[in-house]
Amino acid sequence: MSASSSNSLKAEPNLTPLLDVVFQLITFFMLVINFSNDNYDSRIKLPVAGSARPLDDPAMLLEDRLILNVDSKGQLLFNGKIFSGGQAVEQIKFEAQLARENLKTLRGKKVDPSEGLPTRVVIRADRDTPFTPFFNIITACQTNGFRKFDLKAMNGQ
Amino acid sequence: MKRKPQEDVEIPITPMLDMAFQLLTFFILTYHPSPTEGQFSMNLLPAQPVINMNAPAADSAASNSELPAGLKTLPTTLLAADDGMLAKVTLGENQIEGMEAFTKELTTILKDPTLPFDQTIIKVDSRLKYSELMKVINVFSELKVNKISFAEMGADEGTPP
Repeated sequence: MSASSSNSLKAEPNLTPLLDVVFQLITFFMLVINFSNDNYDSRIKLPVAGSARPLDDPAMLLEDRLILNVDSKGQLLFNGKIFSGGQAVEQIKFEAQLARENLKTLRGKKVDPSEGLPTRVVIRADRDTPFTPFFNIITACQTNGFRKFDLKAMNGQ
Repeated sequence: MKRKPQEDVEIPITPMLDMAFQLLTFFILTYHPSPTEGQFSMNLLPAQPVINMNAPAADSAASNSELPAGLKTLPTTLLAADDGMLAKVTLGENQIEGMEAFTKELTTILKDPTLPFDQTIIKVDSRLKYSELMKVINVFSELKVNKISFAEMGADEGTPP
């Protein structure tokens, strides 16, 4: 009896190309995934503005940013909590103090009151927010030393 | 001479494939393609009077950059309707209705070489919706006016006498 007839037949599919494809897909998703959107609240419906440009300056991406979401009732949504009126102002005051402490301890730098804080305040306000609460938040930021602001809008183009 | 049978070393690929599929599932489930957000970047200083009454009179020979800030600031007032939409815009002393007319008027003002305006203070009705304000900021931004400051309109302001 020949040896070949006694061996049982093995059907082994070649999994290597499949693995290659899966790794390519994983690479794609790893590159496009964005964990930095955690501070962005999906409840906020941004207004549309054609000339609002996406952030393209790499230097601005490295800046310290404070993201403030304002809902349609004018309440501040921050770190998963809702702050209204005076609470929002207190929270902004606290964040400004925190930014000052960070500058002092981490960089050994004291903030010049005339220059203001280097932190950029990103305001994501809902399209239906009345002007008064939005203005109160901006005023609270200015009073506490924030000078740089980004007003977010959907790019309408 | 007798040859040794060749030994095949097989690396088990199946567990690696399982793990790769698990990773793929994780990335597919956590992937939320976010729409492109734009922004208007601005430096907003604390509120201060734009017209300094004690400022020296502008010299006609002086360049535009030497003029006091108050003279270079175009006052803009936004009045809201009851539903929070934009009802009327006052540009300087001109009352305008509608976004198209506002864009046209603003373009005319900014293209006029005799007028020194390069910044604006927008006085806004407290009821005005943010989306309407952004439309106005958008027009200023398109016309390269990036020095913008905000003020809130008083309760008795903007109503006809």
